[in-house]
Amino acid sequence: MDDLDIEEASDEEVEQMTAAEALAMVEKAWLNEKFSPELLPHKQDLVDVMLDQLNDMEKNISRAKKGDLKVSIHKMEIDRIRYVLASFLRIRLEKIEKFVHHLLEEEAQLGEDVPSRMSPEELQHAKNFAANMETLFNDVVLRHMPRNLKKLEGSKVAVGPYQDSYVFLQVQEQVDQVMVDTAGDQGDEAIDLEKGSQHIMRYRVVAPLITNDAVTLI
Amino acid sequence: MYGEKAVELIRQLHRSPDGSLPPFNEDGIRQVLEEMRVLFEQNQADVNKTVDGAPGLFPGVQLRHAALERNKRCLLAYMCNRMERLRTMRWEFGSVLPPDIKYNLSEQEIQWFSRYNKSLATYMRSIGGPSGGGLDLTQDLKPPKSLYIEVRCLMDHGEFETEDGTILLLKKDSQHFLQRSQCEHLIRQGVLEHIL
Amino acid sequence: MFVNDIRKEFYDKVVHERVLVLVAFDVDALCACKILQYLFQCDHVQYTIVPITGRQELETAFLEHSEQVKYVVMINCGGNINILETLQPAEHVIFFIADSHRPVDLVNVYNDDQVKLLMPTTDDFDIPAYDDLFKDDESDDDSGNESDSSAPSGKRRRLDEEVLERRRERRLWEEKRKQILLDYEEFSTYGTSSAMIMFDLAWKMSKDSNDLLWWGIVGLTDQYINNRVERGKYMTDVGDLHKHTLRLNHRNEDDDNTVSVDCIRIYFDEELKLALYRHWSLFESLKHSSYPACKFKMWTVKGQQKMHEFLADMGLPLVQVKQKFTSMDMGLKESFKGLFTASCEKYGLDDISFGSFIAQYGYKNKLCAADVVYAVNGLMECVEAEKSPTGYFLEALDCLSRQNVKKLLRGLDLAKRQLTTIMQTVHSFIDMKQIISAGPFLYAYIPEGHPDAKFFSRPNCLGMLAYFMQEAYVATSRSRRSTLLPMVVAAPLNAETGSALVIGIPPKAEESTKNFFGRAFEQAAIQTNSRTLHDNFDTSIIEMKSEDRSKFFDALISLLS
Repeated sequence: MDDLDIEEASDEEVEQMTAAEALAMVEKAWLNEKFSPELLPHKQDLVDVMLDQLNDMEKNISRAKKGDLKVSIHKMEIDRIRYVLASFLRIRLEKIEKFVHHLLEEEAQLGEDVPSRMSPEELQHAKNFAANMETLFNDVVLRHMPRNLKKLEGSKVAVGPYQDSYVFLQVQEQVDQVMVDTAGDQGDEAIDLEKGSQHIMRYRVVAPLITNDAVTLI
Repeated sequence: MYGEKAVELIRQLHRSPDGSLPPFNEDGIRQVLEEMRVLFEQNQADVNKTVDGAPGLFPGVQLRHAALERNKRCLLAYMCNRMERLRTMRWEFGSVLPPDIKYNLSEQEIQWFSRYNKSLATYMRSIGGPSGGGLDLTQDLKPPKSLYIEVRCLMDHGEFETEDGTILLLKKDSQHFLQRSQCEHLIRQGVLEHIL
Repeated sequence: MFVNDIRKEFYDKVVHERVLVLVAFDVDALCACKILQYLFQCDHVQYTIVPITGRQELETAFLEHSEQVKYVVMINCGGNINILETLQPAEHVIFFIADSHRPVDLVNVYNDDQVKLLMPTTDDFDIPAYDDLFKDDESDDDSGNESDSSAPSGKRRRLDEEVLERRRERRLWEEKRKQILLDYEEFSTYGTSSAMIMFDLAWKMSKDSNDLLWWGIVGLTDQYINNRVERGKYMTDVGDLHKHTLRLNHRNEDDDNTVSVDCIRIYFDEELKLALYRHWSLFESLKHSSYPACKFKMWTVKGQQKMHEFLADMGLPLVQVKQKFTSMDMGLKESFKGLFTASCEKYGLDDISFGSFIAQYGYKNKLCAADVVYAVNGLMECVEAEKSPTGYFLEALDCLSRQNVKKLLRGLDLAKRQLTTIMQTVHSFIDMKQIISAGPFLYAYIPEGHPDAKFFSRPNCLGMLAYFMQEAYVATSRSRRSTLLPMVVAAPLNAETGSALVIGIPPKAEESTKNFFGRAFEQAAIQTNSRTLHDNFDTSIIEMKSEDRSKFFDALISLLS
């Protein structure tokens, strides 16, 4: 991958990083998103950078001599990166569509400066999806129903992520005093997470730690 | 028994295997809606009677109300489940549905599909920002194992042009070796078979 | 032209390009195709494979696929056809031909730009010299006369003589050329197996492996089983392959370095002419293999008794012999080969064994090359309506891969059916004396409506039938002349169009693959205006309208008398 380092970052606002670094981050985001039961905050900037680099890589090899072994290897690499990116965004899309009402509700209640989980485009798709769903239900059944049942109550149909599902995680940075409530009467317990160790615990406990990269899901 | 028709609707859908969509049961829906209308009218009548002083009607009203809610829930579940299956089909078959599946959809479901398509397409085009050029998320569904694959043509498909301009003739029972990314969608459509 | 360095002049030229591969319907071609596929896949060469049954399909396939195709590889087809004239390709198209059919068309030999022949130059081709075939158009006599109109009469007389001399020379040259061509194209025969050519290429690129070697072996064995290679050449080729086998399989001798059981191991062995005996019962195998069946004359009661005697002599109880070979007693199985060969010598079956190879991988799979040939052919020529012929071709291609053992087993079953049908047909023909000695050749035809006719609509199967019939006839005939007679067999091809498939094979005594029927059929057809189709790459197999059969054969008889 070092052969194809991009010399200038394509976007001023994004920190300069090598292709290898960007890929590592995308892979991490992909794994986290895959194993997390809820929609994680979006990584649109990262996706943009990665896609740019992908396009640059493709341009590079189209210039290269035909039949060079490097071409095959780079093409393979491009295919793999594209798969990871596509899979990442697909997983997000699936969660968005599944939890659409829950997410829109959460979005509506966000404060001014609090960043949204979804990127603007994802948000737009979510809104479209919810409206689309409502139109379908309305047209076929709801409008034929008795007066007091005509509405689709978002809160009643919303599906939320199961926060208590268990996930495997690996600790990247030492975190002390994490509150874990154990089953039974022992009440809450605080444990220290050592760097490099691996655990399985309920998602709810580690959710905040994922966002600040202290742990990654595996 | 109230709500039975609604449950029957659901049972019917539940019975059909996961990847398929049985025909839209317009009749069944109409029957459930009719039941709801009757229940509601009976409730209206009872509520009026209660207001006028008749006693003991409240449990009946409650029962009918519960049945109404249940019917609504069943109908919505039916619609929702069909919608979810339809969504899966977009990812499996692409933006054009095979005619035998389309035959089983209601008019509104077809419209839903087309609106979903549009929203999805807009989203995919927007990936990567204005200069990104978008990313087709319906490609690359499986992790790539190799750059080139061997495929066998299962039916006559005429000429096919790959990205670098080469033209292949996809005739039944011919075998080809080419880039995976070029022919993935044909494999999914069933035109080509991947030979391991 | 012939290439000298197959790697540089063929492989390196196509390695960055797209290739169209046209493959004929025989096991040798399939094996060559497999080897080439492997090499291409290693180097990411994009290719398209199209199976073709004959000349018409060759033309169609080329036309359809010629969009943007610059390189065409032809396996076991195209060698004996004037490619440039038949296909009229664009100037930049280059053909690489690996074809075991002989004689190679002379235009293909002498064209330097577009036709590259991959067959080894060490094969004897008997190519006539260039000058005997092609002459640059010299300025002819007439122009000489005109320019000399002003010359004095003495000189003119000398010029006239020169002109006459030149004309005479040219006439002689043309007559000589005609004779050379006649001699060259008189007999059709076969050359080196294409699978071996491809294996050789792989070896030169250091990409050879046991899998590729096995395909090379199967290709050569196909030639042997179908009488497409003479004994001497077969022994030489087997020797070559044996060297490769030793080179690729010597690690087994070292106890410390044993190879995993799942790896394929190949070793040389003396193989018996008992078709599929490991996958059948010994008894069935003896019945269905032409050599022992004809030696014992298994269609007679006496013959069967003799066979029983033979088995008893070997110490093999009948009960054991009639059950599946794999279920025979271990002791009997192991000593079987030794006992069998010894007994054969006693009963006059001198030629019962031939050198061949066995492949083993995993615990279950032990295959001899001949068995694989039968299985692949059985699959390729399957007549069930489930798939089209090209569909079965691809099935057969698949079954050569090690992971498709199930398909190979299916092929073995189909092969057994083929062999059973052949044997039954031969028996009934001998019993009913339906093999006619038509003077200069033996003749048999499968009547329309014969229950097994569809099996014989496939050329390789028809070929096997013809050889079996010939051998059976020779065994029963009292006349010593019978070994000198070639044989012609006809079978119904398509009931709707009323067409038949006809094959001619050389006499048994000659032990050579030289076959003059290609020419003979052509001439008979022309003479009688019969509606024939000389479509098969093997010129000794033709299609014709059944109605024209009698006049065609009459003409053939008078031609060959």
